[in-house]
Amino acid sequence: MLRVAAKRLFVTPSTAPSQAVRVLPRFYHERVVDHYNNPRNVGSFDKNDPTVGTGLVGAPACGDVMKLQIKVDEKTGKIVDARFKTFGCGSAIASSSVATEWVKGKQMEEVLTIKNTEIAKHLSLPPVKLHCSMLAEDAIKAAVKDYEAKRSKTTSANGEETATGDKAATA
Amino acid sequence: MLKKKNTTTTTLFNILRHTTPSVPKQHSPLTFSSHSNSHFLHKSLQSPPFSPKDRSFHNPTWFYSFGYLTFDGKRLYSKSAESVKERSSRCWNCHAVHESTAAAPFLVCDSCRCIQPVDDSVDYFEIFGLSKKYDLEGVNLEGKYKDWQKKLHPDLVHSKSQKERDFAAEQSARVIDAYRTLSKPLSRAIYMMKLDGVEVDEEQTISDPELLAEIMEIREEVEEATDSESLKQILSKMEENLKSWSNTFATAFQSRNFEEAQESIRRMTYYSRVIDEVVKKL
Repeated sequence: MLRVAAKRLFVTPSTAPSQAVRVLPRFYHERVVDHYNNPRNVGSFDKNDPTVGTGLVGAPACGDVMKLQIKVDEKTGKIVDARFKTFGCGSAIASSSVATEWVKGKQMEEVLTIKNTEIAKHLSLPPVKLHCSMLAEDAIKAAVKDYEAKRSKTTSANGEETATGDKAATA
Repeated sequence: MLKKKNTTTTTLFNILRHTTPSVPKQHSPLTFSSHSNSHFLHKSLQSPPFSPKDRSFHNPTWFYSFGYLTFDGKRLYSKSAESVKERSSRCWNCHAVHESTAAAPFLVCDSCRCIQPVDDSVDYFEIFGLSKKYDLEGVNLEGKYKDWQKKLHPDLVHSKSQKERDFAAEQSARVIDAYRTLSKPLSRAIYMMKLDGVEVDEEQTISDPELLAEIMEIREEVEEATDSESLKQILSKMEENLKSWSNTFATAFQSRNFEEAQESIRRMTYYSRVIDEVVKKL
C-alpha cells in the first residue's frame, strides 16, 4: 500500500495545485519516500559486542517496533556506525533511518540532544505521524543507555575504577 | 496514560448532570412511584461502582431498559419537557414519542418511519441492542446490521426530504462504524475502554524488552519466510496468542483492572499487526 502511495504521490506540499478551496492532501514527503525506497543503514550488529549499544522501543498504539544499534569507539566515545531495523509505517522507517544517519560521527552526549521535532521537521511529518519521530528519539536514547550499561558492567567486572566521566552525560 | 474524554451536552442536561451526580437522584425532580426503588436497586447492581461523566448519558436509556416506562411514561413527559428529551425522544416529523429501550434505540420512528438525527449518546452496543459485554458469542451482529441498513441506507430514501436523506447518511455511517468496531475483538476492546474514559495514548512508547524482542523476532521470521506453509503456522500461532490475550482482557476489564486491560490491548495490537503482515504476504 505504501509503495502504491509512494509512486502515486511523489509530490511535496509546495507543488500542490492551488484551488479556490484548498483541501490539504496528506502526501508522503519526498524525503520519507526516499528513505523508504533507498533505506540507509538497515541491518544489525552483534548484540553481544561490547562496543554495540542496542535500543529496542515500541509504540503500542500502532504496533510499531524499532531497533536502533550504535557502534561506539571506546576510546573517543564517538559513534562510528549505526544500524536500524523498524517494523511500522513509512514515517517510522524514515525517522529511524534519519536517526542512524544523524548519530554517525557524533559523540554520545551529543546525540542525546537530538529532538524528535528536528526529525519531524526534516521529514515534514504530519501531526498524526509525530509519534514516529518520538519513537526514533527514544530509540537513540535507549541505545546510548544500553551501551553505557554494558560498559559499566564490563568495567566493574574488570575491577577497574570507572573514571571515564561519561556517566554524567546520560540525560 | 489515561485520558478522559469530554463530551458535549445540552445546557440543561449539563445543569442536571452537575446537580445530580449520582444515578438515583437524577430522577427525583420527576415524581415516581415507590416501584422506582426496586428498579434503582436493580440498576445499581448492573452499573459499575464508579460513574465517569460519560455514564450519565446512558442513564436515560438504561432506565428504560428495565421496562417500566409504560407505567410512568405519560407522566414523564408531561413534566419538564427538556429533561424528557434525553429519556424518551420525540420524532421530528410526526412528534410521536419514542420510548427507547435497550433493544430498540431510537434511530427510526415507529409511527411515521422517519429516520431520526444521530444521537451520540446512544453508543454502539445500544445500536445493536447489546449489553456492554466484551464476549459476544452467539450474537448475530451481521443480521442486526443488515436489518438496520434496510431501514437506514441512503439508497432507500431517494423519495424523502433532503433533511431526512442527510439523517439517513449519518445514521447508516454510524451503524457501519458500530458494526466494524464491535465485530473485531481488538477494536471492541479499545471501544469499551473508551466508553469508560480510558483512551489509548498515541504518544506513548514502551521499552519492554521481552515483548519487543519477541515481536521483532516474529516479524523477522515473517519477512524471511518463503513458503506459505510456515507463514500459515505463524498465522495460527498469532491468532492463538490473540485469543488468549483477548480472554485476559475480558477478565481484566471485568474486574476493572485497567492496567492489565491496557497491557492486553497492547499485546493484541502487536499480534494483530503481525497477522495483517502475514495475510498481506499470503
